[in-house]
Amino acid sequence: MTTTAAMAGERKPRSRTATRLADAVSRWAFMAPAAIILAAMLAYPIFYTIEISFSRFDLMTFSAVEWVGWQNYAHVLDDYRFWSSMKVTLVYLVFALPLQIVLGFGIAFLINAEWRGRGLVRALFIIPMVVAPVVAGGIWRMILDPLWGIVNWLIGLAGFAPLDWFGDPTLAMAAIVIIDTWRWTPFVVLIATAALLALPRDIFEAAEIDGANWWSMLWSITLPLLVPIIAATFVVRWLGAVKMFDIALAATYGGPGGATNVINLFIYEEAFRSLHFAESAAMAVVVLVLTMVLTGIFLYGTRKLEERN
Amino acid sequence: MMKFDAAAVSRRALIVAAAAVALSGASAYAQDGLGTPDKPVEVRMIANEAFANQWQTLMVPEFNKKYPNIKVTIDGVPYVELLAKSMLDATGPSPTYDIIIADDPWVPQLATVGALLDLKSPEVAGWTEAGYDWDDFNAAPLAAGEWDGKQYGVPLRSNMLMMFVNKSLYEQAGLPAPTSALTWDQYLEQAPKLVRDTNGDGKADVWAIDTYFVREPLTPTIWQTIMNSNGGQLLDDKGQPAFNGEAGVKALEIHKKLLEYAPTGAVSHGFSESLQAFRQGLVATMFNWGSVYKGSAIDAKTTTLKPEQVSVQVLPVGSTGPGAHRGIWNGAVSAKSEHKQAAWTVIQWLSSKEGEAWHSANLGVFPARKSTLASTPSEAWLKPVFAALQEAYDASEKGKMWRIRSPKSDAAQQVLADEISRALAGQVAPAEALNIAAEKVGKVLN
Repeated sequence: MTTTAAMAGERKPRSRTATRLADAVSRWAFMAPAAIILAAMLAYPIFYTIEISFSRFDLMTFSAVEWVGWQNYAHVLDDYRFWSSMKVTLVYLVFALPLQIVLGFGIAFLINAEWRGRGLVRALFIIPMVVAPVVAGGIWRMILDPLWGIVNWLIGLAGFAPLDWFGDPTLAMAAIVIIDTWRWTPFVVLIATAALLALPRDIFEAAEIDGANWWSMLWSITLPLLVPIIAATFVVRWLGAVKMFDIALAATYGGPGGATNVINLFIYEEAFRSLHFAESAAMAVVVLVLTMVLTGIFLYGTRKLEERN
Repeated sequence: MMKFDAAAVSRRALIVAAAAVALSGASAYAQDGLGTPDKPVEVRMIANEAFANQWQTLMVPEFNKKYPNIKVTIDGVPYVELLAKSMLDATGPSPTYDIIIADDPWVPQLATVGALLDLKSPEVAGWTEAGYDWDDFNAAPLAAGEWDGKQYGVPLRSNMLMMFVNKSLYEQAGLPAPTSALTWDQYLEQAPKLVRDTNGDGKADVWAIDTYFVREPLTPTIWQTIMNSNGGQLLDDKGQPAFNGEAGVKALEIHKKLLEYAPTGAVSHGFSESLQAFRQGLVATMFNWGSVYKGSAIDAKTTTLKPEQVSVQVLPVGSTGPGAHRGIWNGAVSAKSEHKQAAWTVIQWLSSKEGEAWHSANLGVFPARKSTLASTPSEAWLKPVFAALQEAYDASEKGKMWRIRSPKSDAAQQVLADEISRALAGQVAPAEALNIAAEKVGKVLN
């Protein structure tokens, strides 16, 4: 005991700087693997895309070879097809996102009540999410086919003329929104269901004692409490929806004309069909910046909504 | 009596011995290039997934009967990714693929980046069998593998855009079955009569035509064929866009007019949809690739039609002749392959008279060689098809009916697809669409 105390008494106390340094080193030692993996898997492709967007891309070496400044960006911004695709993407987002959020939370609210088979329905809801988008596009192409599709057959039974789902520009966009909504509404339902289950029961019990009806509780309690979740779900779906191109590729090929040629489909075609990798990289960077700005605005709005609550 | 000359014998013996050594060396080299039972050569091929599996399971075993020491592995890739993947692999320092199967317009792009081996170079000539007859190929399919005066590819799956006819629907409409002399005027005059209500519900249920109308790179081939058969060309002699003239606009108007006689929703139809409509007996004619003939007329598993109901011919005659459009899958050898001889042996066999005859008889693939087309085919149904195919080759050669030959051909084709699609969908007038396309294609090519 005496020996131990003597040894402890002999140990020099660490200086504050050394302690801080040791702390920083140990922190970075833990963070380094994740940081390196992140840099390699996330940052490198982004920076490489940015590099290509400012370069001439040589197909002989399949690499960026010459700095050309803003030339690729000027070329892209001068192409009416780029702006047309941006407009198409905007239309798709404006219709698809609110529809999915409203439907998702609405369905979650309905299936939140206790009823037999609720678990099975919840499980079935996951199916559209796990179907490959190209398969989903192909299946819906058959379902909506003007000649052989079941939807037009049902419309015919009701006495209406068949709809040209993929030939009419407006209906083709509607078809894309329908397919995307079919795929992603279940995702919103899952989040909304979890959020509804997590709401505090005591508030509802107090409201019930005070004589609040179903509508009052929904409008005055449930929705205000869900606003931050709705906003967060919107941001998550926004980030997913802005990348969509596979459904359009499988269902409409971006047509008729360019009616469903969303920006990512246009980028994909320019890169892998036209082999315009530099211009495609420039477009990808423009989309990335716009997405980041809009996401920042949405996140700011979400935070404000949370603070208000 | 013959005088014995020891010195002369010794010299001759030396020469013979030297020749024997040289020959044995060459033979050993050849054996190495084509593999040995102990040390087979492995070659990899990148091909369209549409036929890669069929080749792997049926063609490769047949090839291995003659060349058992060359192991061939075929990777199938979706069509839309095939060019980019081929380019990416071939331009790498050590490519995976020894053989590249390239679509008709891709050879200039792959050749320009130095990815392909010149198959008529002295190096390759040394590996080419004496009986391999280059002159036996029809000029049009062989030209698909040529770029800048060099032969980078050989035709392995020759295809032509042709007109399929459901003769029963013509007969039911009281019209004579079309022949290869049918003109565009006659075709368009007959088309309204082929749109009929057969079940009396007041709605049309059979139509005159289905083909490519959808927004995709092969749709402009229909418009181009109409234009070419009326004397129009994609590019002028200086390589500048020339398709936005009168012939081009008129051709696009005809292409759009076809929609009036096509099934509901045909503006979103392409290869599969038109094929489905034809095979179900819903349309009297279809402009599609000749290679679908067997599945449309012969194979009861894939068609409702009987062989006697279906015929195939060139597209209607315009002011300068009948129409067709070339679509050749070329076999090419990677310039960086470590097994060039073996790779060339594979595609040499498949494009030889022997390989082509087997390919055609067993897989229904169309031949490119004149001798194969002139021969009596193994299946009776192939005879009229071969005759129509020969007509299509001739029409294609005469009217230069193929896509733009340029290292930028796919980019130009995508521009054409965008603008033709907009015109067909009624979003822009044909003349305006072609003017925009001409400006953009001009920029792409220059």
